[in-house]
Amino acid sequence: MLEQIIKSYNEAIFDTDREQALHVIHSAITQGVSPEDVIFKIVIPAIEQMVKSISEDFDANLAQHFMTAQIAAEVTEEMLAHFSKPPQVIGRVVIGTAEGDLHSLGKRIVMGCLKAQMIEVTDLGVNVPAERFVAEAVAHGARVIGISAMMAHTARGENGCLRVRQLLQERGLEGKIKIIVGGAPFRFDHELYRTVQADAWAEDGISAGKIITDLIREVQP
Amino acid sequence: MITGMERLVAAINGGVSDRIPVFCNLIDQGAKELGMPLKEYYADGAHVAEAQLRMRERYGHDNVWSLFYVGKEAELLGCRKIRYAEDGPPNVEDYVIKVYDDIAVLRIPTDLNAHPAFREELKCLQILKREVGGKYPICAYVTSTMTLPALLMGMDKWLELLLCGPPDLRDALLTKCHEFFVKEMTAYRDAGADVLVYSNPFGSTDTVSMNYFHDHSLPWIERDIKAVGTAGIVYYCGTSRFNRVIDSVLKRTGIGVYYLSPLDDLVEGKKIIAGRGLTCGVINDMKLIDWTREEIRAEVRRLIEAGMPGGKFLFGTGVMPYQIPEENIRTMLEAAYEYGSYEKQGS
Ligand code: B12
Repeated sequence: MLEQIIKSYNEAIFDTDREQALHVIHSAITQGVSPEDVIFKIVIPAIEQMVKSISEDFDANLAQHFMTAQIAAEVTEEMLAHFSKPPQVIGRVVIGTAEGDLHSLGKRIVMGCLKAQMIEVTDLGVNVPAERFVAEAVAHGARVIGISAMMAHTARGENGCLRVRQLLQERGLEGKIKIIVGGAPFRFDHELYRTVQADAWAEDGISAGKIITDLIREVQP
Repeated sequence: MITGMERLVAAINGGVSDRIPVFCNLIDQGAKELGMPLKEYYADGAHVAEAQLRMRERYGHDNVWSLFYVGKEAELLGCRKIRYAEDGPPNVEDYVIKVYDDIAVLRIPTDLNAHPAFREELKCLQILKREVGGKYPICAYVTSTMTLPALLMGMDKWLELLLCGPPDLRDALLTKCHEFFVKEMTAYRDAGADVLVYSNPFGSTDTVSMNYFHDHSLPWIERDIKAVGTAGIVYYCGTSRFNRVIDSVLKRTGIGVYYLSPLDDLVEGKKIIAGRGLTCGVINDMKLIDWTREEIRAEVRRLIEAGMPGGKFLFGTGVMPYQIPEENIRTMLEAAYEYGSYEKQGS
């Protein structure tokens, strides 16, 4: 039974059909699947499947990333309320767009994918100063700072990722907090993340989930 | 002396001149040219015109721009807050549509030419037309119907409305955007723009799936182009890829110029266009910031060798980032003039 549900859910995600995806989940619940199983056996494997297809050269488009994240976040929120005991959080992340940058979509997609994977994300919003990235990461016990930037000057600027790196260095936090970046400039220049001294980058929101999980594991005490 | 317009017309018609046409999209660099902050620069159409003319003279490329920044379109539709940076393009800071109810009250200006936010652009176009009209193609930038809502409500909320929102509301917004699109296109043509860059990231398969493209994007592209005609129109998806839809766009709209993504396969793109239009090979200008002289020359050479055989080819850039060193701009252009020369090849 579960196999059939997983298949239908994956198909709906692929077709960016939100209603169908939600319908599949709700009928699964009616058939007696537990909220925990919905997340761990349906939603997360669907994301993992997508990561796998992308790495095998399947080109997912922005709409698919958006819908995967949107649906996963919605379902997760709904299911979490019905969990028999609170789930174990894998780690914490803060995310925002670089100072001077107002593009919020990339961040939103990444957040949706992270939530479904039991990573606690704090949204710092847009136009976030470097100091705030670091202060909030410390306050939330975050292992990873995610910085989204859609333009050359906000990706490369002195007040962006470069400054976050400098602050982490100054405060001796580099072993505890990793930086991941993403957005158009990084997709056009795959080495740019090194230039701006980030630890990693991700080409898309779905892969970001996996890369961030790996980063968390690296620094998790 | 051969002009940029002659080069462009020759390329469009499948003929040759001294070299292939080379478009270099220097926008914010104009402020550097005049030695003033970006905000001051964009406050006056005469600044933009003067800088465009000076940069063209200095670098020798074939086009000039009337574009200030894309956020201008949002200003024409009621946006009152633009965020300026010291070293990058101005951005829309306040969205005209914050909640769905704002769609019903969105007002399309009756006469763009009378709109204060359009005045400086008109001034710029007037000067450009007077100084280089007919000699160098004057480019204008127009956001497509399907993409314009992103400027009015953000990509985030637009994608949400597009994919999950009420269809009647989506269509109401698109209908208004189409009305604006037609007015804007007409106003630019009337003011003397020759090359009209039709910017449509939602017509790219990086943004939407092929099915979605055919069901939603293409019908709006058809409607846009049917309303304004194909003269001077350039299909451009904001540097997102669109090789897979070229054939449909060509057949259904007749658009004759395709400004590919640097991430598209140029040889494949040109093969699909198959002499039915002008192929524009676009360099990945994000990399121009750090590339060495040798790397720049090698990349320009690669693109031109891929695109030039068989003619109907133009070499171009995206919206050149402000951070590109002047030296690198020169290196790129010199390489383009050299490798794109017909004279050297003796044809
Ligand atoms: C759609 C688009 C537009 C639209 C909508 C803009 C808007 N309001 O958002 C329009 C046509 C209106 C437009 C206008 C402009 N644009 Co524009 N635009 C694009 C385009 C095609 C896509 C950008 C986008 O929104 N993507 C949505 C995001 C979510 O998609 P994504 O990058 O694939 O995101 C994934 C990954 O990057 C990753 N990710 C994202 N963030 C993060 C964060 C973390 C931590 C991680 C791990 C991963 C991650 O996951 C995401 C989901 O899969 C890009 C080119 C391109 N192909 O990328 C240019 C681009 C971003 N634009 C560009 C520019 C310059 C502009 C303008 C400033 C032009 C001007 N001079 O006015 C204006 C600004 C308008 C404004 N806001 O005021 C440049 C920026 C580069 C530069 N030169 O600095 C680009 C790269 C085009 C180019 N090469 O010339 N644009």
